[in-house]
Amino acid sequence: MSVSRRDFLYGLSASLGSVAFTSMLDAEEVATSPLAPKKPMLPAKAKNVIMLFMEGGPGHMDTFDPKPELSRLHKQESKLGFGQEKGFKFFVGSPFQFRKTGNNGIEMCDQWQHLADPYIADELCNFRGCQAESLNHPEALFHLNTGSRLGGDPAVGAWVNYGLGTENQNLPGYVVMTELALPQGGPTNWSNGFLPPYYQGTRLRPQGSPILDLASQSFKSREHQRRALDELSWLNEQHLKSLGETDQRLLARMENYELAFRMQTEVPDVIDLGKESQKTSSMYGLDDPETEVFGRQCLMARRLVESGVRFVQIFSGGWDSHDYLERGHTARIKSVDKPIAALIRDLKQRGMLEDTLVIWTGEFGRTPDNNKRGGVYSLGRGHNNQAMTMLLAGGGVKPGVVGATDELGSAAVECVHPIRDLHVTLLHLLGLDDNKLTYFHGGRFKQLSQFGGEVIKEMIA
Amino acid sequence: MSKQFFFFAATILLVGFFRTPDLFADESTDESTERQFTLKVLPLLKDKCLGCHGGDPSDLKGGFSVLDRESLLRGGESEEPAVVPGSPDDGTLVGAIAWEGYEMPPKENDRLTDQQIDLFRDWIRQGAPWPDEETQAAIRDAEAQRRITDDGMIVRTSGGTSEEWTNRRYEVEDLWAFLPVKSVAECLPSEIDRNQAIDHFINRRLDEAGLEAAGPAEATDLIRRATYDLTGLPPTPSEVDKFTKAYQEDSQQAWEQLVDRLLDSPRYGEHWARHWLDVTRYADTGGMSNDYERSNMWRYRDYVIRAFNSDKPYNEFIVQQLAGDELADEAYRERNDASQEQVFQAQLDGDYNEEEAEAIIATGFLRMGPWDNAMVDADEARQMYLDDLVNITGQTFLSQTLRCCKCHDHKFDPIPTRDYYRIYSAFSTTQMAERPVPFLPEEDLSQAASGRAHVQRMLDFAVKEKNAILEKQEAAARAWYDEHELPYKTENERKDDPDEMKPPRHVGLSPTEQGQRKVREQDEWIWARRLERYEPMAQSVYNAASFDLSWNGARKLRIRRKQNDGAAPKNHILLGGALTALGDRVFPGVLSAAALEVRDDADDPYLLPGKVAGRRLALARWIADPDNPLTTRSIVNRLWQFHFGRGIAANSNNFGAKGAKPTHPQLLDFLASDFIDNGWSIKQMNRRIMLSDAYRRSSVVPNQKQLASVDPTNALLSHFPRRRLTAEEIRDSILAATGELVQSDGGLPVMPEINMEVALQPRMIQFSLAPAYQPSPTPDLRNRRTIYAYHVRGQADPFTELFNQPNPNESCELRESAAVTPQVFTLLNSDTITDRSIAMAQRLERERDSLPEQIHRAFNILLLRAPSQSETKRLGRYVNEMTVYHKSVDPKDAEYPASITRSLVEEFSGQTFQYEEILPVFESYRADTKPDEVGPRTRALADLCLLLFNVNEFMYLQ
Repeated sequence: MSVSRRDFLYGLSASLGSVAFTSMLDAEEVATSPLAPKKPMLPAKAKNVIMLFMEGGPGHMDTFDPKPELSRLHKQESKLGFGQEKGFKFFVGSPFQFRKTGNNGIEMCDQWQHLADPYIADELCNFRGCQAESLNHPEALFHLNTGSRLGGDPAVGAWVNYGLGTENQNLPGYVVMTELALPQGGPTNWSNGFLPPYYQGTRLRPQGSPILDLASQSFKSREHQRRALDELSWLNEQHLKSLGETDQRLLARMENYELAFRMQTEVPDVIDLGKESQKTSSMYGLDDPETEVFGRQCLMARRLVESGVRFVQIFSGGWDSHDYLERGHTARIKSVDKPIAALIRDLKQRGMLEDTLVIWTGEFGRTPDNNKRGGVYSLGRGHNNQAMTMLLAGGGVKPGVVGATDELGSAAVECVHPIRDLHVTLLHLLGLDDNKLTYFHGGRFKQLSQFGGEVIKEMIA
Repeated sequence: MSKQFFFFAATILLVGFFRTPDLFADESTDESTERQFTLKVLPLLKDKCLGCHGGDPSDLKGGFSVLDRESLLRGGESEEPAVVPGSPDDGTLVGAIAWEGYEMPPKENDRLTDQQIDLFRDWIRQGAPWPDEETQAAIRDAEAQRRITDDGMIVRTSGGTSEEWTNRRYEVEDLWAFLPVKSVAECLPSEIDRNQAIDHFINRRLDEAGLEAAGPAEATDLIRRATYDLTGLPPTPSEVDKFTKAYQEDSQQAWEQLVDRLLDSPRYGEHWARHWLDVTRYADTGGMSNDYERSNMWRYRDYVIRAFNSDKPYNEFIVQQLAGDELADEAYRERNDASQEQVFQAQLDGDYNEEEAEAIIATGFLRMGPWDNAMVDADEARQMYLDDLVNITGQTFLSQTLRCCKCHDHKFDPIPTRDYYRIYSAFSTTQMAERPVPFLPEEDLSQAASGRAHVQRMLDFAVKEKNAILEKQEAAARAWYDEHELPYKTENERKDDPDEMKPPRHVGLSPTEQGQRKVREQDEWIWARRLERYEPMAQSVYNAASFDLSWNGARKLRIRRKQNDGAAPKNHILLGGALTALGDRVFPGVLSAAALEVRDDADDPYLLPGKVAGRRLALARWIADPDNPLTTRSIVNRLWQFHFGRGIAANSNNFGAKGAKPTHPQLLDFLASDFIDNGWSIKQMNRRIMLSDAYRRSSVVPNQKQLASVDPTNALLSHFPRRRLTAEEIRDSILAATGELVQSDGGLPVMPEINMEVALQPRMIQFSLAPAYQPSPTPDLRNRRTIYAYHVRGQADPFTELFNQPNPNESCELRESAAVTPQVFTLLNSDTITDRSIAMAQRLERERDSLPEQIHRAFNILLLRAPSQSETKRLGRYVNEMTVYHKSVDPKDAEYPASITRSLVEEFSGQTFQYEEILPVFESYRADTKPDEVGPRTRALADLCLLLFNVNEFMYLQ
């Protein structure tokens, strides 16, 4: 049974007919699961990705890209003509002090306590050359997550699963964790877009059921469920016999019930953090209410990757500091600093960091200046699509600072790359060629970068 | 309108095309090679290589340029010549493009074909001549005079941005959609009756392929198929009995009567409207950052349902949706002999009769796209809207994807970017507005009073909470002013005072209160806006030269007439789609490649009137012209697809070169012509299709092996394709089976019970969280058909979403139906499905006494058949054993909270704060019967019902 079961796992559903027709997969591969692991196209440095998404857009000059010139100009009038803010504008110096950390020139503001440990900092690449396009949250989120501002195209994680499949067939290949509230744009950020639905991100919900209706009704035991499935499969088999033909879609649907039954134990198991030691739990900050939420998700991310999940994404909101920047960023940094450091340390100690790419980013950067709010000098920043900051670690990334912004932080000026180049680089690290990872849809072969891009060589070890 | 402008006539296609006389037979080899180079090789170089190997010398990849002959002879950094004249195999070029050595161009889907590589070989073998620009131009000019050659056909359009594009050639088979539709007489042999036409065309192709067709389906399958197909619901057991009896007596008559009965059912419009709403992207909110409610969007939904039920001629349906507001203006003017001022006044007063109101409601079509101008420049927001109108109009009515032409001339189809901007210009005086439009007698407002009371209560709560916080703040402000010995000023009055002359912002408020204030202010807005649900308004448009959009314009869009509105905006081609990159000036117009002229002007017959009003109506009438080959093929292809699960041309939103070609082109043309001959009647077409043998075939394949090799996708329709029920069909049929389904006549959207975790889950909108989803208070509202549910773009019902109800941000030409695992969870474990199984068990217990009878009844209702003996026996044992199980368990009471505490990260402080949200609907909520309210025996019977909801036999239609 197990061999034939594998053959039609997920099944040759109606949509797969067109996949076979138009995709890069050859006929033999289609016969197995669309999520079965596939060999990369190129030599790969990374196998898995953990993407930490700081929704709202952290200030690059308030995190990893110090701008002393801004402190000098603090509250002086700004005539910079970009961003959405209109009328009188003034410069805003960062409320934080900066220092160099580790041996690779990484700079951090003093709020980063744990990442600053050289054991961690020396793994980091800080990329300052990326430029977004949109000034509005949902569009910018869509752009970074799907390669298109419009929303509706496949997410990076969907493309990666399309190209590489995933290792554990009892778990989704692309897992997304959010806070209680969904980020702006919602599930469009982890959509399969025009790729078949197998590649969509599965959201593990932070409270209640991790996947909707994963558990049986509380008054139905696992034995009760098993029995129901046995009766169901008997009924389905009778039906299939009566047809006198094999319809793959019907078989696929039957198989889905068995997969679901396995997932019902596998998912709770992988997200059960009770199996981690006390030491690990507190390393991730699970014992502190300020770091618990993100820490839990980071620890879960490690467990998921360990269990063979290809792409994990965590959204952390609240970075949109138009005002009260100091309070806002202090709290947000505190909530993620320890967990991220723990994640990198944990991956490193387990030998997983070399083939797990960790990315920390927002959807855009911030402006060096701000306008008044309610008539008051509000110390915050607007949206900036000309400059931003990212951290990358592991997965074949070269530690150190790549690219630069101008002295005010208003625009990237060195090693400047659009988001599509970041996407191309990410795929490249995973052994995927953006130009060959294509899917025919809407009249043309589409790709993550939309129209191609270049690998950012400076970031690669 | 004349079609003469379009060059190709059917006779030329049939006779002359493939044997072009070689006009150049006498020319020398040199001349012929130069022609070959100019017309074939050079365009390939430009198209495939120039991007990286041309232009800026500092940016050349590998230091290699293809700009001139010298560069090719020299080669790149490798210092090997790319081309050695006379010997194709010596240079690097041929190896590179053949992907032997270098792999150029590097993108898989840009690779040259073998034929194209041979062109390079030939050219190099002949000495690689590179004629000068003047010679090239002469060669191109001469070529442009020849409309049809071996390389394809030139299509006369309004003209591309380059001469090369304007004069390029298309494969004739790629132009099928633009060709005039053949008349019935032209495609159907005279001895064949129209009633037989479909089978004539289908059987001919089956015969050609040597495929055996499946026999007729069983009577039960037929009534199930037809009932779902026309109404989206299952037949009742008594309908099945009646039909099977009648079918035995006279199958043809029984079938015709069945189809006619179903076409007359009001449920028909509810189901077929859903098809249309997939294409036009129906939702009750506007999506994007704020996802504002578009109050009364349901009036468009009901309009579409009425249109299908009353069999509104499709040409009227088109014109009303695209320009119903202009029709209303015309009618009002005529009816009252009104001046322009009076017409404008009527727009503000909503002074319309029923027919006019109906037409304005229809223009909800023009308000269907996701749109919000939050944080977007006004010009850009306007462009987003107009681009959306062009795209959706092209996809919906013309089956053309015009989006590509926003930035450039179409890469594959004869659509110049000029035509894109001509249609853009036709919409450029269209302004969004919620307009006063009187309610129609057939619009159901029975829920309005209770709904309004609920909304008012939510609003009052928000205002009360907000005021409490403001009072606290202002008390602190007063104290500050006292302390500083300054006179008190209100928050608004002190806004522009210098910092030292006024209290700090949010004085007296804790971070939590600051956050709460923002939430309550947003809530006040949201609920005040939702009161508009009960006003006689319609989401529509009006014509004006301009509209001043405020920063939060999507909140409120009303007709605003300016004293001096001025002339219509000037439109240009926007190069690369950029607002600042103005290309040629353009005027309103249509798709020139369709060769359907708008006016008698030999120079440019494709321009529409240019006044502020009237241009959109003229566009609509052009689309709805019986001679528009795109429109008529588009609709009959969609109708065919909704019946068979696949269009005759499989991409019903894209008839371009990259869309699938029609499998039965003659049939498509026959249907299009027949459709026009029958007065654009959709019901007649439904009937025509369903009365064919092809539609009545069994789903069981006679020869699976043969089919797998000859026609694996069943494009030739040797059997009827089996399909999974759609999301709405699943929910509606389960409700029908349990006896809970409540039929209604539309009206205000209802809120079915959705997964409670999702209903209460916080959802970010700009500045705040959206209010929780509160289901309708009573089952008779909640259990209406799914089409009447409230569709929030940012909060899909997870049940219908899982079963592939499309995302309303994109036009959906065909639904997905892939089986993914989360479907299993919802269909086995959810509260919704559990409640349905209990309701079904209760129904069975009400209607039948013994267990075997109850099992029999369940099979009858859900699977339309009696259970086999072994099924009765085995499932009887199952229910008995489960009864024992359920005696040992004690299901928990269901909880519906009357208020919840929300957490939100405050942007100002980065800290979490909490606030209370009330859910008054749950104070007097009439919940469905829950498992704890019934005994073990009922729960065990419910276990059986749950199985039957899950079996393939129920989920698939055949």
